[in-house]
Amino acid sequence: MADAMTTQRWLRAIVGTLALLAIIIQATAVVVGEGQAVLITRFGRPLRAATQAGLHWKLPWPIDSASLLDMRRRVYETGQTEMLTRDKKNVIARTFVVWRIGDPLAFTQAIGSQGNAESKLDGLLTNAAIGTLGGHDMSALVSTNPSDLQVDQIEAQLLSSTAPIALRSYGVAVEQIRLERIALPEENVSAVFDQMRAERRQFAMKYQAEGDQEASRIHSEAQLEAARIIAKGAEETARIRGQSAAEVAKTYADAHRTDPELYSFTRSLESLGKLVTGSTSLILRTDSEPFSLLQNKGK
Amino acid sequence: MRRQGPPSEIRRLAAPISRLIDGAWQRMHWWVATMVVLYALSGITVVKSDEVAVILRWGRLVGATPALQEHGPGLLFAFPRPIDKVVRVQVKHVWEVPVDTLSPMIDAAEAENEEEELENGVKLTLNPLTQGYAITGDENIVHLSMIARYRVRDPALWAFYGPKSEDVLRVEVTAAMVRSLGEMGVDRVLSDGRESLVATATKRAQQGLDACQSGLELTLLELTGLTPPIAVMQDFGAVQSAFIDAQTLKNDAQAFAESTIPQAHATADASVQSAHGDAAAALATAEGDAAAFRALDREYRASPAVVRERLYRDAVERAISTAGSVRWVPPPVGNTYHGFLISITPSSAGPASTSSPSSTPTTPYPVPPPPTGTRQRQNQNNSQNNGPVPSAGTPGGDERDPD
Repeated sequence: MADAMTTQRWLRAIVGTLALLAIIIQATAVVVGEGQAVLITRFGRPLRAATQAGLHWKLPWPIDSASLLDMRRRVYETGQTEMLTRDKKNVIARTFVVWRIGDPLAFTQAIGSQGNAESKLDGLLTNAAIGTLGGHDMSALVSTNPSDLQVDQIEAQLLSSTAPIALRSYGVAVEQIRLERIALPEENVSAVFDQMRAERRQFAMKYQAEGDQEASRIHSEAQLEAARIIAKGAEETARIRGQSAAEVAKTYADAHRTDPELYSFTRSLESLGKLVTGSTSLILRTDSEPFSLLQNKGK
Repeated sequence: MRRQGPPSEIRRLAAPISRLIDGAWQRMHWWVATMVVLYALSGITVVKSDEVAVILRWGRLVGATPALQEHGPGLLFAFPRPIDKVVRVQVKHVWEVPVDTLSPMIDAAEAENEEEELENGVKLTLNPLTQGYAITGDENIVHLSMIARYRVRDPALWAFYGPKSEDVLRVEVTAAMVRSLGEMGVDRVLSDGRESLVATATKRAQQGLDACQSGLELTLLELTGLTPPIAVMQDFGAVQSAFIDAQTLKNDAQAFAESTIPQAHATADASVQSAHGDAAAALATAEGDAAAFRALDREYRASPAVVRERLYRDAVERAISTAGSVRWVPPPVGNTYHGFLISITPSSAGPASTSSPSSTPTTPYPVPPPPTGTRQRQNQNNSQNNGPVPSAGTPGGDERDPD
């Protein structure tokens, strides 16, 4: 019985202490998570801001009160604003900004909420963008020539002209400003389309002309080459025929040289054979051979 | 000892609570003990295979470096809440987000309207507020649709400091793409520059993601659409077909060349071969003729008169039989010439007249005179003077009386 009593007393003490501790901690401790900050106010007057994560202490309500702030980075896209470049071209630009609460105290006092912060940023950025883009040509934004492009400078300029003001006036730390979109006013687009069409037509004609030219080049080169090959063949043929004629002539000459007189005789007879054809009329005297033989018959 | 408790008023207030605790403990002390133990163990967490976990102790990240902060898959021992808070992040999972900020963003009905407008010749335009597009370096307009695939690279940054993933990805990818397109010509973009465009944009977007501490890694940027606006689509198509036509022309020419040159080779080869053949044949003929001539010559040398006469007679007979008509005229009487005489003037060798021992001073068988001078000229003269062609015979020495 005495043991049970002792156990119960210990139990009561432990539970009581724990409850008390819980109440004290609940009232005085503030757990600030990573990515959070806490602003502690005493009777409504901002006392301090704790931006470090961890356990922080305050006096219990109603003396001190703590409000947690989300210190995460946020992305805000501005509206699409039409502006004029230095070379008087209308451009619609949209920027985005990555921001976070830089100074919890200033932020709470000047703005209070995320929505307010963004409308303030919008105005600030639009102004800066109009000013900055007005100092650059269109080719600083889009160009095939890398030395014309100045997007990095423009973005840096935008950042340097807005970040200090945002931090000082609104407690907003602007970390990144980028040109998200570059577009053209609706009424200028058709002019761009016309230009694109003209350019395409030019390309089409260029391809066509190049194709024609190339094809006729290949054609005529082939014809030339073929003619060259045939001419070479003809030359070779003529050479062979000439050589052959020479050899034949030499062969005949070698043979005929053995007896020029006989050659002359046989050649004459050959000519005779060739000259007398079916349409030839021969008129011979009766005392010619072989008719004379008949006349002399008997003698 | 027992009187050392709190003052009597507090005790009076605490008495019902004490009774509650005592009662609870007496009736279900095992149950309570189990609950306490379970609470103590509630900090133990299982980290799955595609996750890492970080521990916040009183809100602060435990561990000085990312390697110490991140706990891999397995059992993770932590204190129960509110001391520790375990945040698990899926780091291996690849998420994807469509980026449509530069795509035409028009629904099917609107697209049909646009086509109708195009047919009616109405100039089209684009509303920058409702239709996405980007401007290339040479001030052409293109539409793009993309899908960004990403994963969490730095769980602590992503979980506590980075901006919302889909927002930051959309803007960073769009900005990087607009920037990268702005430095390339439309022809490169639409042809071979596509890969380099994606590579540049991916690199830029990643730099942006790092700069705003998003803790994200852009693993793949996929271009799902990259087209010129509908209004000028036809013209881009025309360039394409002009290119193909030009290619076809070139290919045709190439084919012509590839057939023409072998044909020329074949022609040339045939001509050379035929020349070789002719040459060989001509030489063979010549050699045959030469051999025949030599053989004849051998016979001739042995008996010139006989061979000569045989040859002559053969030729005359052939001529007479070949000729269309043969007329015989009597020999001239006195000084009047009445016909032609074919005669063979007697050679110096004096051929024996075998068949006709005539009393006339002229030889009965006219035999061509042995040639003198150049062979060629002689040859011609002989065939003119002595062949059985119609020729003016010379009266006088050649005349003879048939009687």
